Formats: sequence, structure tokens, C-alpha cells
Amino acid sequence: MSPEIQGMLEALERNGYVADRAIATALFLASDLEKPLLVEGDAGVGKTEIAKVLARILGTELIRLQCYEGLDVATALYEWNYPRQMLRVRLSERDGPATSDTEAAIFGRDYLLERPLLRAITRPDRPPVLLVDEIDRADDGFEAFLLELLSDFQVTIPELGTVKAQHVPRVILTSNRTREIGDALRRRCLYLYVEHPDLAKEVRIIQLRVPEAGAELAGEIARFVQALRKRRLAKVPGVAETLDWAEALVRLDVRHLETEAVGATLGCLLKDRDDLTEVSRGGLAEPVADARGGNPP
Amino acid sequence: MSLALATGMADLGRTLREGGIPVALGDEIDAARVLARLPGADREEARSALRIALKIRRGDWALFDALLDAVLSRTDPNPVGPRPTASVDGRRSGRTATGARAEVEVEASEAAGEGSSPGYSPAALLRSKPFEACTASDLAAMESVLARLAARLATRRSRRLVPSRGRGVADLRRSLRRALSTGGEMLAFARRTRAVEETRLVFLVDTSGSMEANARFLLAFVLALGRTARSTEVFAFNTELVRLTGRLGAGGIAGTLERLAASVPDWSGGTRIGDCLARFVAEHHHRVDARTVVVVLSDGLDRGEPADLAEAMRAIAGRARRLLWLNPLLGDPRYEPTARGMAAALPFVDALLPAHDLASLEALVPRLSA
Repeated sequence: MSPEIQGMLEALERNGYVADRAIATALFLASDLEKPLLVEGDAGVGKTEIAKVLARILGTELIRLQCYEGLDVATALYEWNYPRQMLRVRLSERDGPATSDTEAAIFGRDYLLERPLLRAITRPDRPPVLLVDEIDRADDGFEAFLLELLSDFQVTIPELGTVKAQHVPRVILTSNRTREIGDALRRRCLYLYVEHPDLAKEVRIIQLRVPEAGAELAGEIARFVQALRKRRLAKVPGVAETLDWAEALVRLDVRHLETEAVGATLGCLLKDRDDLTEVSRGGLAEPVADARGGNPP
Repeated sequence: MSLALATGMADLGRTLREGGIPVALGDEIDAARVLARLPGADREEARSALRIALKIRRGDWALFDALLDAVLSRTDPNPVGPRPTASVDGRRSGRTATGARAEVEVEASEAAGEGSSPGYSPAALLRSKPFEACTASDLAAMESVLARLAARLATRRSRRLVPSRGRGVADLRRSLRRALSTGGEMLAFARRTRAVEETRLVFLVDTSGSMEANARFLLAFVLALGRTARSTEVFAFNTELVRLTGRLGAGGIAGTLERLAASVPDWSGGTRIGDCLARFVAEHHHRVDARTVVVVLSDGLDRGEPADLAEAMRAIAGRARRLLWLNPLLGDPRYEPTARGMAAALPFVDALLPAHDLASLEALVPRLSA
């Protein structure tokens, strides 16, 4: 393994993220080539966590933009502070300087509210990590705007002029693929597809994040969840669900998986009514025994 | 960048494109930069880095791996990486270049078919049949009617706000700007209201033998829709599922239909609706969201397992805004949806509608934008 990737892998681990080679490679390359990284994968595989841990590794600020339908420039980029502007207009009316002076003043930096994207390019000290979360939820128009920002790292505010990035931020975009990302944006980025972890990795994640669970319970939990993922479910449980479940079991002082406790806490893993009925109907005794016995699921 | 690396990358790019994985020049440059940055990479590491740099989608991984191996064995003894490394496996030696290529092509086609149905007819005849009847002038006349219908689709209100006159919520930014011209006196609020947005449509068109007479007509309608509504996805299915979206466009409707009949495998063969829809759910579910209306065009005569069909329909209905089923057989007043497949799908369908003539399609349009 290349030393750079090995280094990234270890740094991730030190900061509480159990990564695999693909993730470490992608993060290293994105930093090295200064390209945005587009991360796709099922819900709950730890996409958002990647950005958080990268910010910890670099010891820098994490700036997060949560996308949603209808997201516009006023929420993502900048907005003027209207109440303050209004106040200033009123005051200057009383004191009576020229209108042009007032306008110059109220459309200055002091009256500008920075939103995540503008913040990300105006940090003076060091490049922050910019997380554009769930880009697939924003509409096409916003995607086009983002494309422009990611190619030049500068924005033009009509009243102020062009603001250029002091430091190019490390950009991570995540997508759940509820909508296909446009080709132009995809091409601008490096691309990482995160899969559900395999058994060994999941055990290590549980041990790292819920150390109270202990090695045996962690193994049983991971085996149970791995077997669950192989079934036809509407909502496949992700790592986030596994960790919730592990915490719930620890809270209930469960040392080993048993049918009753699993039945009572299954809602931590399965968040769809049909899935719950489907899994409960087959009986929990057998999958629990498989998980406890350590038979490969 | 070394010349060997550049040539190797160009070779890989061309092989991938020929194999059906879209790779642009910019991606190749990214990939070359990546490899130049990782001189000590072994084969697995190079593979993983190339997937990242070339933006290979999850569904294309198997095919990509096969094609990459083909290129690596061709450029023997030099792997795509800038330097040969000790850890490259020795499997390549002893194969002739052409032999390796032929073998990989088999692997690649297997990989591409992975997850598809085993095929109802064992031979899965790759029949290509010309469309019969229905003259060009008929289609041309229909085209204008269909285009008019399609234009009525753009009626959904988005959550995005756009400037408007008179109605909507106050827009402070514009209001204040206007107020400046009256010395800060706000005489009227500027307003914003929700934008009107196109409906997103996904069509799944059955092109099996029992649907042949209708499929052509229905596809013409879908094509006309696709020209007006920008985000329209079209899939054809019989024993296999084929995404048609990229292949629509150029040429008139008649020309496009000709090309489709030639390129869709097993056009007018048997049907396995359940398998095909299950495959749609597995591979294309991200094309369906809460803004999408999914329309299945089929007679519901399924040779597969009804339980599979029901399962797939449940998954689609759970994601889509509406799920409509168009059945040409409904044109006959005596028809009852009792065919096994149709009966299995019925509980998940928002509406079961006829689709045997232009009038029935006209009635469909308001439902698409609802």
C-alpha cells in the first residue's frame, strides 16, 4: 500500500473512523489534487461522517450546507441584513446625507450575512472543509450554480463585486441518489461509492464507537445485521442503525443476543413497518441463534 | 506525465467507452494524475484509485474490472501505472493478446447481464422485427396532437420561490432595493411565489408479443412527452429491461422507433414483468422520487412469479408520487383485470387506465401532472 494512503488510513482510524482503502485513497487524492469529492452510497453508510472526520484530521473548521428542494442563493451564499439596512436608511434620512452615500454604506461588508458557501471561501486563516450534504435534494438550478462556484471558487455579489477564495476549501458532496447528479458536476469531482461495511469492519466500528458492548456482543450484533442486509428489505439498516442498536442493547444490559431483547429493540434497526412484520414473521429465534453461534450468515 | 502513462490511459479510456462505460477526456486526465501521484500502487490500489478518478458508478464496477484487466494484460509487461510493480499478479503471462481480449469480452457481457432475469425463453431470441403498418403520415399527424398534450404537463408548483407580481410572500431584498429610490420609504412590498415546475416522469413500456400492436403507439406518445418534459425516463421491458432514455431524441418519432426495434433485445418476445420491474427497483430506484409519476404500460400478461411483481410494485409505489398502470385491454368493456400479473399489481396502483387510442391518452395527461 502506498505510504500516503496508509497514512490517511491511520489518521482516519485515530480520529474514530474505521475506513477501508477505497475511502482513504479517495480522501488522499481529493486533498492532493484539490478536487471536490462526490460521495455516494446508501443511507447510513457514513457519508457525512467522512467530511466530519476530515475536518478533525486537518484541524480545520467544518462548514455544512444541508441541501433541500427550494434551496436558494439567499440561504446558501449570502443575504443582506435588511433590518440593519432599514435602520441605517431611516437614520440617514434624519441626518440628511446624500442617498448615494447611504447606498454605498448599506451594501458594504458590514451589512452582509455570510451563508455557508460564502463563509467557506472567505476563511482568512486556513482552508475549511465544506460539506454539501445531500446535493441530490437540491434542484437542478442550484446544482448549476454550485458547479460555477466549484470551478472558480469565486462569487460575484452585484453590490460588492467579486469575492475570490482566500484558500480553496476541501469540498465533499454527498448524495443518496434520490436524483441522478448532473454529468457536469460529477465530472468536476472525484467519485467515491461507499458500501455497507463487511463483517470484520462492522465489528471494529461497533467496538470503536460503543466500547461498552464488548467483543462478543459486538460480533453478534454485526453478524445479525449482516444477515439482515442480505434479506429483501425496503430500508436496509446502515451503520448508524447498527450503532443505535448496540447502544440500546448496552443500555438494557444485554450481554448476548436473545430473542426477546432483539424483538423489543428491532425498531432501532428496521424503520419500515413492512420490514418489521416481514422479519418478525419468520421468527427471530433462528437468526439470533445464527448470530450467537457465529455461523457465517 | 510519462508518454507510456498517457498512451495507457488513452487505451483504457477507449476500451471503457467501447465497453459502454461513459468516460470523458477530463476523467482520463484525472485518472492519469491520480496514477502519477501513486507510483507505488499495486494492482488493487490502482483499481480503486481509477474507479474514484474515472467516476465509475457502482453498477458498472464488474464491467469496469473486466475491461481494466483486459487493458492491463494487453499492455504487458507494463501495467497502466507508470512503473511495473512487483505485486502485479502473474496471471497475464502466457496468454496471447487476442485470446485475453476474447475471454474478457465474454466476462464483460456476463457482468453486464448480471442481475437480469434468466430469460423466459431459454434461447432468448434476439429477434429484431420491423414495425409494421401505421403509416408515416399517421405518425406525423399524431405527433402534433401528442406534443400539444405534452405541453400541458408543466403544472406542478415547486418549493423554489421566484419573483411575482401581486401575489406571494414578501421579498425583502427586492423591496428594500426599490425603497431606496423613494428615500427608504417602502411604498409596496415586492413579492415572491412558488415556481411552476415540470413533472418528472418514468415510463416502463412492455414491448412483448402480446403488446406489440400497442407498444409502438404508446412509445410514440412517450417520445412526444419526452420532448416537452425534460426529465422523462423511458424503459422498455420484455424478458429484459432496457433503458431507452439516452437513445431517444434525434430524428422524427418514426425514425426513433425504427432504431429502437433494432436495438432492443427480444423486441416482441415473451414477458417477465416481475423480474424486469424488480431489476428496475434494484438498479434505477434513484430515478424515482416524491416528485415522480411512474407509468407502467402493459397488459399484465406475465410469465413470471406474481409475488415478484407485487414486491416490485410495492417498492415503486413507496417511492413515487403516483403509480399509474396503462392497460390497452381496458379498451374492451368486458375486460376484467384478472390475469395473474395484473391482479398481483393492482393493489399498489393509484389508477388503472385504458390506453388503446388517442382519446384515452388525452384523458391521461391531467393525471400525470396531478
